[in-house]
Amino acid sequence: MLKITDVHKAFGDNEVLKGVSIEVEKGDVVAVLGPSGSGKTTLLRSINFLERADKGRLQFDDIDVDLKNASKADIKKIRKKTAFVFQNYNLFANKTALQNVTEGLIIGRKVPKAEAAERAKKALDKVGLSERYDYYPGQLSGGQQQRVGIARAIAVNPDIILFDEPTSALDPELIGEVLNVMKELAKEGTTMIVVTHEMQFAQDVTNKVIFMDGGKVVEEGTPKDIFTHPKEERTKQFLRRVIPNYDYSI
Amino acid sequence: MFYIDIFFKHVWNILPYLKTTFLVAAITFLVSVLLGGLIASGMLGKNKPGQMLAKAYVNLMRCVPPIVLLFIVYYGAPYLVSSLFHKDINGLDAIYFAIISLSLLHGASFAEMMRGAYLAVGKGQEEAALSIGLTKWQAFYRIIFPQAFVVALPILGNSIIGLLKDGALAYSIGVVDITGRAQYLISMNLGGYVLETYLALALIYWILSSITQKAFGALERRLQKG
Repeated sequence: MLKITDVHKAFGDNEVLKGVSIEVEKGDVVAVLGPSGSGKTTLLRSINFLERADKGRLQFDDIDVDLKNASKADIKKIRKKTAFVFQNYNLFANKTALQNVTEGLIIGRKVPKAEAAERAKKALDKVGLSERYDYYPGQLSGGQQQRVGIARAIAVNPDIILFDEPTSALDPELIGEVLNVMKELAKEGTTMIVVTHEMQFAQDVTNKVIFMDGGKVVEEGTPKDIFTHPKEERTKQFLRRVIPNYDYSI
Repeated sequence: MFYIDIFFKHVWNILPYLKTTFLVAAITFLVSVLLGGLIASGMLGKNKPGQMLAKAYVNLMRCVPPIVLLFIVYYGAPYLVSSLFHKDINGLDAIYFAIISLSLLHGASFAEMMRGAYLAVGKGQEEAALSIGLTKWQAFYRIIFPQAFVVALPILGNSIIGLLKDGALAYSIGVVDITGRAQYLISMNLGGYVLETYLALALIYWILSSITQKAFGALERRLQKG
């Protein structure tokens, strides 16, 4: 469904992506793991053009574009098929939870207002925020804000949802409520790419794990492959460091 | 000896000229907003020469005292226009020159205010808007502008008061606003009742500024969300 090939991106002299390719099938839940600075977030942002890659090809169903020279119309098409969940939520501070969700429907996709409100409420109910429609982001906890962020993403019926470290900015005790919502989405067959540091989530919920380091994909496979039989030394090293008492030889 | 009756009489005598003060302030405000927006977008844009030009302009304006700029425009603009377009604008009402110079000046500070407010909103808001399918322009007027406006409000209130007060300088090129009127009253009295007249003038400015301040405070409280 989605295939990106040989993505390169540099910020000044700093080469962040050095030829990354990944492929996602419909219904896949893909975890992208790796140390900070490995380029995972940049990769994710390149997919919906929040970052303009220096080189690379993107195939998304029948769309086939060059990441560097994609036209405005192509970008628009791809953004219509994707949704993004941000590390810092990025909820519209001047809008209520409900308005945050309807915005993309009414303005972005020209859905009639009444229908948009209906769909937005459904999305908010789904993430457990049926009591918070009229709250402004400033009145919500981090976990609630991120759940609005997820509702905003699912309401537009995207083909794929891109999660950029959705729980990294949260208090440890609020992480669970966000991960549970994501688990629920995964169960329903939502296609997602999740950049994350939550190893348990990657292990239990995803069906494909990509390990990146230094702007490249080091290794990819099923969670079982990566977590119990990693082939690359770099992967083993990383897992030893992030998982307490990790022993890959089991 | 302070003549309180003269003081009140002069307040009354000056008041009708508020019309001119408001006119200068209102048009200056409008032009400053447009010019400021243009300069701010230059400073924030990706175009390097545009950035440099906008920054140079703001720096230049920051370094000129208002009254100096007023005289430069008053004497310089007719010269410039006559050498460029061979038109004589010496006869033009002084109010035009006052508005032009005040707008040039306040356009620069408005630009700084807008730039600061825009940056305060944060890149993430725009990215989120783009990610759900809004265009850049929609992201600006639906998401960024309403937030930047709230950020800018306290400074905007101050700027408007500053603009109102700077208007007082216009009398020096012959604009008869409330300050011009006060000067006229003093000369009509052959230099008498100076203190009464200036205090009457100050009272009017004080009331104007206070109303502006209160109005902006109320607006701020209303627009504060969450």
